[in-house]
Amino acid sequence: MSHSEVQNLLLLGGILFAIGLIGFLTRRSLILMFLSLETMLSGVSLNLIVFSKFHQNYQGQILAVMVLTISACEAAIALAMVVSLYRRKATLDVQAWDDLSETILPKSTAGDYQDLEHEEHYPKLSPAGLDPLDRPVPSSMQASLDQDQKTSPIVSEVNQRA
Amino acid sequence: MNPLPIDPKNLPLVNGDPFQGNLAQILLMVILLGAVAYLLLQHGLIKSKMMAWAGAGLFAFAALMAFTSIPMQLDSLVRMCFSILAVAGGIAFITTREPVHAALGFATAVLSSCGVMFMQSAYFIAAATMIVYAGATIIIFLFVLMFAQKAQLQWYDVQLTNPVIATVVATSLLMAIAWSVSESEEILPVKLDLTRPYSLAEPGPSPGMVMPPVPEASMTQDQLNAFVPAKTSGLGRSMFTDYLLAIELAGTVLLVATLGAIVLAQKPERDLS
Repeated sequence: MSHSEVQNLLLLGGILFAIGLIGFLTRRSLILMFLSLETMLSGVSLNLIVFSKFHQNYQGQILAVMVLTISACEAAIALAMVVSLYRRKATLDVQAWDDLSETILPKSTAGDYQDLEHEEHYPKLSPAGLDPLDRPVPSSMQASLDQDQKTSPIVSEVNQRA
Repeated sequence: MNPLPIDPKNLPLVNGDPFQGNLAQILLMVILLGAVAYLLLQHGLIKSKMMAWAGAGLFAFAALMAFTSIPMQLDSLVRMCFSILAVAGGIAFITTREPVHAALGFATAVLSSCGVMFMQSAYFIAAATMIVYAGATIIIFLFVLMFAQKAQLQWYDVQLTNPVIATVVATSLLMAIAWSVSESEEILPVKLDLTRPYSLAEPGPSPGMVMPPVPEASMTQDQLNAFVPAKTSGLGRSMFTDYLLAIELAGTVLLVATLGAIVLAQKPERDLS
């Protein structure tokens, strides 16, 4: 393995890394940012493999296996997160989630954030107590101002004290 | 623990040919021109298809020049083909607007770098990368894209964030890499290092199995060359002896990530009442 070959392949790894960096910093779609990350990882593992061949031992390849494992984990987690984020706001734009960042930072492109097309789904509270429209209140619990009608024992007791 | 009876200061020399760095100026110019072209493209200053085709023709011409400058051996030619395909796929990945085209560019870049990995005799990693990236990732990506994307181009695919800052950062990084790689005498000659400093395994006879031979100091250069890593079986042996704990940890991380992905992708309960 000649030195010029090492040089060329290290350059190829660097170019892949730089392309992934540009893509990650410029793209706004969540999936494409994630693919840019994968491009960067591919460049890094190419670098490791070239050095493994150059030094003629397996340490670089083992490290590349580790990189591959972590990138597979990251792929699974990122795609699951993209699915759940899309379910929430119905857009793949990363700037729809700008309110998760620090508020003192100025927005990079102000004003082009459009309104959401779908309504958000907030959690619903489970109902507590009885719904008076659904079930009639038992007559013993009903309060009435009319003295002639049969009143509940609590109301009659109050009236007696008065 | 060093199981080998070789003195680490007395290792056989593998690769000692000197190296002259002469690529630096041309490389830096090419990188700078590429960055300027990318910025012009992002700011809409290259509008006509004629100019895009002219750029592609210039790229093809540069590739042809690179072909004439490399030694005419089959492996260097194939390696150069893979490298050019990888770079072209990466450029297509960051310049196209449609996400599907960008995904195809990504697949091209990753598959081509897998070809380069094959030529570096990293067969297992190349195959695993192909399965993970080009198989699973691209297919899941297209699946997600199908249900997420409308028919027309989305506005957030067209308008990028801070292309100037990103280009400046990436270009300076790449120029630093190119400069340091092309520096002469920077890549030192390499000695055959067969020491395994982190190994927990003891070479020797084991009941019921035949252990592979280990290198010794009395071997000649030809016999030592048989231990140069070019086989997947050697990688497996190194994984499960020298780096057993790390491999087990990686498997655990994969399991945890699988569980997390299943939990995250579940549909939330909408109606609780």
